[in-house]
Amino acid sequence: MAETLAYGRKRRPVRAVSSFVDRHFKWLLVAPAVFLVLALSVFPLVFSAWVNFVEFDFSVSSSHPWVGFANFTDNFADPDWRHSIWITAILACSVVAVEFVIGLLLALAMLREFPGRRILMVIIVIPLFISPVVTGGFWDLFLRQPIGPANEIASWFLPGTVTTNFTDDGYWPYLSVIMADAWQWTPFMFVILLAGLSSISSELYEAAEIDGAKPRQSFFFVTLPLLAPIMLVAITFRFVDATKLFDIIYTLTRGGPGTETYTTSYYLYYQGFERFHIGQSTAGSWMFLIALSFIAYWLIRRLLKPVEA
Amino acid sequence: MIHYLSYSVPYEKEDGDVKHDWRMAVGEHGPGVLEDLYARKEFLLKASKLAAAGAIAGPLLANVERAFAAVEVASTGGDPVATAAVNAAKQYSGITLTTIRETGPQAADDKLFGGPLWEKLTGIKVNTVEGSDAEILQKQIAAHIAHTGDFDVNEALGAWIPDFADRGVIVPTDDYLTKYKGSASLKDIHPVYRSFATYKGKTWGFSDDGDAWALYYRKDIFGDPKLRKAYKAKFKRDLRPPTNWDEMTETSQFITDQLAPKVYGQGMGRALGNPGNYFYFFQTFRSLGGRFFDPKTMKAQINNATGLKAMEYILAELKASPPGSAKFDFLTMWTTWLQGKTAMIYTWPPTGRISENYAQRDKAFSFLPKSKIVGKVGYAPIPTGHGWVNGVVRCVSADSKNIDAAYLFCQWNTSPSVSLQRVMLPYSLRDPYRLSHYKSKKYGSLWPGASKYLKALCQAANDGVIELVMSGAPDYGTSLDRAMTAMYAGKDVQSTLDATAKEWDVITKKLGVDKQRASYLNYLKLTGSTSSNTAAAKGIGFKC
Repeated sequence: MAETLAYGRKRRPVRAVSSFVDRHFKWLLVAPAVFLVLALSVFPLVFSAWVNFVEFDFSVSSSHPWVGFANFTDNFADPDWRHSIWITAILACSVVAVEFVIGLLLALAMLREFPGRRILMVIIVIPLFISPVVTGGFWDLFLRQPIGPANEIASWFLPGTVTTNFTDDGYWPYLSVIMADAWQWTPFMFVILLAGLSSISSELYEAAEIDGAKPRQSFFFVTLPLLAPIMLVAITFRFVDATKLFDIIYTLTRGGPGTETYTTSYYLYYQGFERFHIGQSTAGSWMFLIALSFIAYWLIRRLLKPVEA
Repeated sequence: MIHYLSYSVPYEKEDGDVKHDWRMAVGEHGPGVLEDLYARKEFLLKASKLAAAGAIAGPLLANVERAFAAVEVASTGGDPVATAAVNAAKQYSGITLTTIRETGPQAADDKLFGGPLWEKLTGIKVNTVEGSDAEILQKQIAAHIAHTGDFDVNEALGAWIPDFADRGVIVPTDDYLTKYKGSASLKDIHPVYRSFATYKGKTWGFSDDGDAWALYYRKDIFGDPKLRKAYKAKFKRDLRPPTNWDEMTETSQFITDQLAPKVYGQGMGRALGNPGNYFYFFQTFRSLGGRFFDPKTMKAQINNATGLKAMEYILAELKASPPGSAKFDFLTMWTTWLQGKTAMIYTWPPTGRISENYAQRDKAFSFLPKSKIVGKVGYAPIPTGHGWVNGVVRCVSADSKNIDAAYLFCQWNTSPSVSLQRVMLPYSLRDPYRLSHYKSKKYGSLWPGASKYLKALCQAANDGVIELVMSGAPDYGTSLDRAMTAMYAGKDVQSTLDATAKEWDVITKKLGVDKQRASYLNYLKLTGSTSSNTAAAKGIGFKC
């Protein structure tokens, strides 16, 4: 009797565990992934929501007293934050516009077969596979006085000797950032738009031609309307990505001269990881995220409209 | 070092053809010399280069080996501070200490010298984490916030000490100094460098570097008869190393006008984020008598007439510098100087060593070119005499699990005898900061003129003004750094300084006006906090 009891006591928990595993097997299989998501995404999100409303600043205090909306108002009070929002908007719109126009022209040029087309396409697409940090570093070396060859090359084509400081003088810092970003991301536009152009049936162009349409009319009344959804996809993806512009700024201008090329991402990095004003930086990140969500929502709605129609 | 030695190792080709192998041994770049047609003249040239390399590498190797031997002797009875640390640390044999250092030569100091020797003497391993100047600040703060215990030995600029101390990143070392008989070590440190490790009446580590700026100038250019004649005709005075900021701007522009683009008057490292950019303003501003804050109101004073004048001098200097020098980091500054393209620079101490090719003999210094100005460099005080001084402090991390061992490593590593060997290492970026360093005959004989260099550094420490050692100092510094680059790019000086002063006021308000006032008043008591409070002015400077 005693042996049976002892046996029963030993076996019962094992059986219970086995039964539990059988009943919840599917949940146990996904549990590690769920745990990872909770640990790496949900916890930081909840933690950052708390940080928004407490003093979390290395140089102010080791404790974290409740400060209400002070972290948010600190951002609004900072002229660098307001400036960074403008710079982000201007740079994002500029780079997307430049990349779109050049990408479309390249796609149109590459639509038809010609000798060397494939090699040329590979060359055009290469910058897409380079790290943005390397791109920024490359452009820094290219443009920097006196070691970069940019002034020398410009002097070949322009009268006199060009001695421009491309990351300091006038509007050049912005133009330098736009050039570097366009160099890297135009291929993205090019690839998507080329795919879109290739999917337009040649019969439509033939029909337009029979109807007497000139090439310009074919472009505006056949190509553009059919390419519009693809264009919107490309522009949406690039715009959302361009608003996060950071790497090229970090390596090319470091936000300078002064704070002239501070994008919001760079400003938040500076506040959070260089100065450890973590509360202010987190609040800024949340505001930026919410603003971007509205823009993304609007763009995606526009994107889905043609599909619904 | 290693690359010189490797040249003397016979190279064996895979095909077994050994008749040309000696050519590899004499060449600098390997395969390029394996030509079938090998002229005798070229061979003789290469052979003589090898001999020269051997002649240079031999004594250098001997120097490093002697340094190892000297530290061992010092740590086993020769130096009571080092010996006490080693004896006490033996009980921790087997553990690993993690230090953090600036990438490159600073880290090499721990990796190639201090670390291996400490392990040999105590059985304690040393692991060194590297990062740029900005990164090491970020890494240490991040590690403390997350309580990871990543570091046992912290490294702090003097300006970081108040924040590190107030936030509990580091521990005060006073009790350990008594416990392990390390107090004697502090008395040998120049008073201006002692300022950096002292905060709120406590000691927060060991000063570990002597970063006093001096003026380095080209003797051959300043001695050129034609130039001297033209200078005298223009300014009615002799061409000499400038003694005030007016002279500095005039002389810089004069040399640029006469010799550019071959040589420019000066060329400093002024890039945004470059360690040192805002130091120029801090230095010039205070050498003109400027004060950072009004202690009563704690309103920033950098935008007053003195601040404006200081910035105008800096912009005038920039005008006399090579094109693009607003973007020079300090490596570009040194490269330009070593190539003989600038007539003056005023900056950190290794300039003397690198100008004479003492440091570049080592592989760890291959990031700088060989000097083309050997024997042509003179040393002088910064105009007005009040040059910039910053310091590096080795501290003990509050998050360390081996606080005693970490402290003992610091005590040993910075002890008079061990630190003397470290400041003489060709690959180290540590410079003299102790009386025993300044008096060292060994250091004084490292190259012809080294004794004059030591004297110049000692004088610079006596008259120097220190970095801003108070709570929030990195914030104030970065704010000014950004403003300066905006002014280099053409922004109006007065309005930019006004905006920066406002930024400083916001920082002060955020950190707490009363707290900042206390911190600033504490700073004003430190030796070198103002031009009227230098070690020399207080009568506590070293006799150089």
